[in-house]
Amino acid sequence: MQFIKQLYNFESSDPDEARRKKLLNTLLTGIFAAAFVGSIITLILVSLNIVAFSEVFLIFSSSLIFAIGTVIIFFINRWSGKLASLLFLVLFTIALSFSDTPAQLANGRSLFVYAIPIAISSLILIPPASFIFSALSSAIITYLAISVSITPNIPGIIGFFILALVSWLSSRSLENALRELRVINADLDQIVAERTQALSESLTREQIEAGRSQAILESIADGVVVYGLHGKAIQANPALSRLLDIPFDQIIQSTVNQLAHSDQLDPKYRDKLERLLSDPGYQITSQRVEWDQKTLSISAATVLDPAGNLIGTVGVFRDFTREAEIEKMKNSFLAIVSHELRTPLNAIIGYAEMLKESILGPINENQARASDRIMSNTDRLLSIVSDLLDQAQIEAGKLTIKMRPFSPSELLENVHGVMDKAAADKGLSLTSSIDPELPQSLNGDLARLQQILVNLTNNAIKFTDTGSVQIRLKPLNPKHWIMEVLDTGYGIAENEIPKIFETFQQVGSGATREHGGFGLGLSIVKQLAELMGGKVTVKSQEGVGSTFTITLPLISNEKTEENKDE
Amino acid sequence: MNNLALVIEDDLDLSAIFAEALNTAGFETEIIRDGHVAKERLTQTQPALVLLDMHLPHISGADLLSQIQSDERLKDTIVIVATADARMGDSFRDEADFVLIKPISFTQLRDLTTRLHSNLK
Repeated sequence: MQFIKQLYNFESSDPDEARRKKLLNTLLTGIFAAAFVGSIITLILVSLNIVAFSEVFLIFSSSLIFAIGTVIIFFINRWSGKLASLLFLVLFTIALSFSDTPAQLANGRSLFVYAIPIAISSLILIPPASFIFSALSSAIITYLAISVSITPNIPGIIGFFILALVSWLSSRSLENALRELRVINADLDQIVAERTQALSESLTREQIEAGRSQAILESIADGVVVYGLHGKAIQANPALSRLLDIPFDQIIQSTVNQLAHSDQLDPKYRDKLERLLSDPGYQITSQRVEWDQKTLSISAATVLDPAGNLIGTVGVFRDFTREAEIEKMKNSFLAIVSHELRTPLNAIIGYAEMLKESILGPINENQARASDRIMSNTDRLLSIVSDLLDQAQIEAGKLTIKMRPFSPSELLENVHGVMDKAAADKGLSLTSSIDPELPQSLNGDLARLQQILVNLTNNAIKFTDTGSVQIRLKPLNPKHWIMEVLDTGYGIAENEIPKIFETFQQVGSGATREHGGFGLGLSIVKQLAELMGGKVTVKSQEGVGSTFTITLPLISNEKTEENKDE
Repeated sequence: MNNLALVIEDDLDLSAIFAEALNTAGFETEIIRDGHVAKERLTQTQPALVLLDMHLPHISGADLLSQIQSDERLKDTIVIVATADARMGDSFRDEADFVLIKPISFTQLRDLTTRLHSNLK
């Protein structure tokens, strides 16, 4: 089968030639089959003694010649279609000239046979070839007519030429139509090829881009999940699967709600996580949650397409376990340090006091002075430890304000208890006053308010050599009250004022060495005031004194019963 | 009313200083450095004053404070809570008679307890 196909298959750059070759081959095959069958039938008839061999000799030999001739032409056709076609047609025309008596062929019943090569020639040779064969046929019948002394059939010859004209026209128009069809096909092929190429390029580009995004997503250490508008996870990365300890397939197609109700999540974070991932940016953009043994920091954002339409939300999960541990360690370290430092410092102060008070036996004036120095230096050390702890707690956001009712007089008593001695030691008067308009009971964090006043008073005493330090508590307006600390000290230069509330800042380069301290006091005052919803302001005149004012919200006691802090 | 004061404080130096202050004030002072021992002594004795540190080994100061409060025998006992944590100190202001935040001054403690001692009789 393959072999036959091969025989009939023609690879040609000229599609017309290929078509003609195929056509010729079909004709040859048909004639070969007829000749072959004719020869076989003749042989059978002879072998059965139905006819004598001499009677059918002519038929047999011509069939044989035809069979052999067609095979030869068949192979010539493979090499040159034109030559094969020409040979076939000439051979065929000559053979036709022996198919009847010359008289019948030239002007009788068989005149029509010559129409066959004329019609075929325009199909298997070139279209104008029909004229050549009508001329050849005309020549043959003229020759035959002359050979038997009759007149050639002139209308027949004219008919040949008319047939040639018709064949030529129809073949030519057929070829033209085919050619146009080929052009259209070629154009179509071109378009299809171009489109296919473009499509494959864009697909490849898309694949590369998608692949690149996927590669980036898969290589980052943070867990990433993207939720579509329908609330289901449409994309995630393996890091998320590892982080959450949930199989990747389970994450994809799961909803925010399912994630928030996972057993591994500490239930108290459910609502927060759900809100964050379903409506990022509404209130919060990040949230820390406890997941199994881990601490995760989750941030979320909305995803917009290039046209600005919302297409989903993206959540980024970061393992915060280590940082959370370090934070915890830092806090407990600070608490321990604070406690462990205070205890021995307390002992130092206690022993120094006992020495000075002659509890342990009589001491002389110099020894008493030395005890004093030990005590005051230890106090300084203690206040530095306290300030550092407070600063660290404020920075860590751990310092909380506990509101409870207190009386302003209680606050002032406490401050006097701590500061009276320091003022007296420096020969300054420390006075305080409470405006009668101020409510008898206020709400606030007594310890922190006391800390603010102690810090401010301590500073005032530190920077005042002669005169007084006053503390005043008074209402400012129906919503605020103020605490003021006034001194008659050196004052602060105007350009220094903005700096004094900064961490580790002190006025003047020599001030730290001269007056001690870390420059944390005022920074803590400011931060504490702000934590309580208040603010600190300062008025100062160099050589005259300074006034520090803390403005705080006035919260009546009735309200705070319901609004208690935390 | 007896004259006994228990100083419940695990630090060697601080307990000595506090005891000295209370002695000076006129109390007969006993130092206890362990939570378990303190718990037991509180059932055996009827002190006039307890100076109670909040950070103790084994049993916390807070537990001892509630033990004193729930013991009818000790309803007249004056309790002074001593702590380094001002926050914690605040939370005991209702339960304790006095809250002292460390560092505690020898003279302040002596003066306070002298006043308390003179009020006993």
